[in-house]
Amino acid sequence: MRRRIDPVALLALPAAAYLLFAYGWPLAALLVRSVHGPGGFSLAPFAAFLSDPFSWRVIGNTLSTAGLTTLVCLAVGYPAALALAWSRGIVQVVLLLSIILPLSVGVVVKAYAWQIVLRRDGIVSQALVGLGLWSEPQRLLFTETGLVIGAANVFLPFMILPIYSVIRLLDPRLRAAAATLGATPLHRFLRVTLPLTLPGIVSGIAFVFSLAVSMYVVPSLVIGDRYQTLATLTGRAFLFMRNEELGSTTAVLLLAMAVSIVVGSTALARRLGSTG
Amino acid sequence: MAAFLDVAGAEKRFGSTTVLGGVDLAVARGEFISLLGPSGCGKTTLLRMVAGLLAPDRGRIVLDGRDLTTTPPHRRDVSVVFQSYALFPHLTVAENVAFGLKARRRPAAEVAATVARFLGLVQMAGFADRPIRALSGGQQQRVAVARALAVQPKVMLLDEPFSALDRKLRETMQIDLKRLLRELGTTSVFVTHDQDEALTMSDRIAVMNRGAIEQFADPVTIYRRPATAFALGFVGLSSRFDGTVTASEGGIITVATPAGSLRAPGRFLPGSPVVLGIRPERMALGDGADGPDRNGLDATLVEVAFQGARAHLYLAVGGGTVVTVEAPEVPAGAAPGAPVRLSFAVADMLAYPADPDPALLAAAA
Ligand SMILES: Nc1ncnc2c1ncn2[C@@H]1O[C@H](COP(=O)(O)OP(=O)(O)O)[C@@H](O)[C@H]1O
Ligand SMILES: [Mg+2]
Repeated sequence: MRRRIDPVALLALPAAAYLLFAYGWPLAALLVRSVHGPGGFSLAPFAAFLSDPFSWRVIGNTLSTAGLTTLVCLAVGYPAALALAWSRGIVQVVLLLSIILPLSVGVVVKAYAWQIVLRRDGIVSQALVGLGLWSEPQRLLFTETGLVIGAANVFLPFMILPIYSVIRLLDPRLRAAAATLGATPLHRFLRVTLPLTLPGIVSGIAFVFSLAVSMYVVPSLVIGDRYQTLATLTGRAFLFMRNEELGSTTAVLLLAMAVSIVVGSTALARRLGSTG
Repeated sequence: MAAFLDVAGAEKRFGSTTVLGGVDLAVARGEFISLLGPSGCGKTTLLRMVAGLLAPDRGRIVLDGRDLTTTPPHRRDVSVVFQSYALFPHLTVAENVAFGLKARRRPAAEVAATVARFLGLVQMAGFADRPIRALSGGQQQRVAVARALAVQPKVMLLDEPFSALDRKLRETMQIDLKRLLRELGTTSVFVTHDQDEALTMSDRIAVMNRGAIEQFADPVTIYRRPATAFALGFVGLSSRFDGTVTASEGGIITVATPAGSLRAPGRFLPGSPVVLGIRPERMALGDGADGPDRNGLDATLVEVAFQGARAHLYLAVGGGTVVTVEAPEVPAGAAPGAPVRLSFAVADMLAYPADPDPALLAAAA
C-alpha cells in the first residue's frame, strides 16, 4: 500500500530546511572527510584510532562520565519530577522556577561556582568530612567525580522536564483506584506510577546521555586537558592540533553513539508508550 | 439494628463552600442503595470519603463495627468503580482484575482462579489477555466491576458507572449488575443523577440536594411520598402549583394558586406559602366528577406526546402554569387548543412548605 504524506508533516518543513543547511550539510562533509583520505575511500583512520590504547581510554572516559551523569540525573531528577507534578500552587511555581531558571545561567558562570564548591575547603568536601565519609578534606575540582557533579548540575532539567510532563498527564484516579484495591503507597508506585512513567524516563535518559556524551565546555572548565573524552579530543584535534583526520574520526564515533542512543530510546519509548 | 456502613455527620468544605453539610447515611449489610441527586450536589464527594480518598472535616465513618474515619484507603476493604473506570492502561484485562489480589499477596493459584471466576461473572472470560485499549466502553465497565469485586470488598462504591454508555446497553448492564451484586450479597452504594436508574436498581434511594440528604427511603416511598418539594420535582414527573394557604381545617388545606383554588392534605397555618404537587397518572380528564374530595380545573390542551404504551398531555391552566397528565392513550379528537376539564383527588395532592426565597435567606444571614 502506498502511504500518502500527511500534510501536517509540512509544518516541519522550515525546521527541516534549517537543519539541513546548518547541521546536515557540515555533518555530511565531516562524514565524507572521515572516510576519504588522500588516496580515496579508506577506513584506515578508524583502524588507526581504534588500535591505539589511549583511544580506548578516551572512549571509556566518555561512556563512564556520560553514564554516571545520566544515573545521577535520574536518581535526583525522578523524585524532583514527582514533587513538581504533585505539588500545588506556589510550591509548584517555586519548584518549576528553580528547575528552569538555572538553564539561563551560562556554563561558565556555573563553572566558577563549582570552583568554590568543589575546592578542598569547599562545602562539598567539608560536608563529606563532617558526615564521616571522608577522613580528610579532598579536592573535587579536576577529578572525574567533580566532572559528573558539574555535568549533572547542567543537564538535570533535561531529565526532570520529560519525566514531569509524563507524570502530569497521568490520571490521578489510577493511583486512587490502586489504593482502593488495597495497594500500599509503595505498591502503587512500583506497579502503577513507575511503569506508566517509563516513557518519560527513557526520553530523559536519552536527552541527558546524548548531551553528556558530547559535552565539551563542562569537562574543559572542570577538569582541563588531563582528562580526555571523545568530545574534548575532537575539539583539540580541530582547534589546537589541526588534525582534521583525527577530529573527523572521533566526531563520527561520537555521532554514532549519540544516534544509537536516540534511535534506540525512541523505539523503546514508542513501545512503552503504546501500552502505557 | 446497627448499620453495616454508618456515615455520621460527614461534613466537607472546599474553601468557603460547604459541599457536604453533616450527612448521615446508614446502610444495612447486603443492601443496594443509590445516592441520587443533580450534578454538583456532593455525591462523588461523599463516595470518596467512604473510600478514604478524601478526609471529612467532621463526622465519622464506621464499617462493620470498625471506625474507618482516619484509615487510609488501602486498609478499608472498600472498592470503587470510578466514573471513567480508571483501568490500568499498561495491564491486560486479567492483570487489571488480578491487581487487588496481588496487592493483598494472595497465592498465585488463588489469584488465577479468582480472576477467571470474576471475568466469567461479568461475561468477559474470553478477553483475559486483551489490552484495555482494545475494549469498548461497555466491556471496560465490566472489567472495572470485576476488578472491584474480585477483592471481595465489604462495600462496593459505584460512581455513575453507566453514564458513558448508550441507553440500550445501560439498561442491560443495570439488570446484570444488580443481579450480580445481589447474588454475591455485596453491600453497594451506587451514585447516579438518573432517577430511572435509581428507581430500577435500588433497595433504597438517598435523594441528595446541595450537600444534604433530603430523603432516604425505598423507591416506592420516594415516588409516592416524596419528603420534600425537591424530591418530588427530581424523581418522576409532577405538576407543581405555588400558592398561599387560605384555609386549614381537619388536615385539609385550601390554597390559592394562580391556576385556581386547590385543596390538599396538610397542616399549615393560613397565610403560609406552600408548594403543591401531583403525579401525572393521578390526574384525569373528566367531565363534572368534581366532588368534596376532588379538585377540578379548566384547562387548554397545549401538546400531546405519544409514548407508545401511554400518552402525556400538556395542559395550560390559569396563571400560565402547564401541567402534565398521563393518559392510557391519546384521547379521541385531542387537538391543541381544545378546552378540557381536569379532575384529581385531594388525597393525591402533595403539599410542602415553599422553598425559602434565596434572596430572603441571604438577607437574614
Ligand atoms: N477538590 C475540590 N475542590 C473544590 N471544589 C470541589 C472539589 N471537589 C468537588 N468540588 C465541588 O464540590 C461540589 C460537589 O462535587 P461532587 O461531589 O463531585 O458532585 P457530584 O458528584 O454530585 O456531581 C461541586 O460544586 C464541586 O465543584
Ligand atoms: Mg460526581
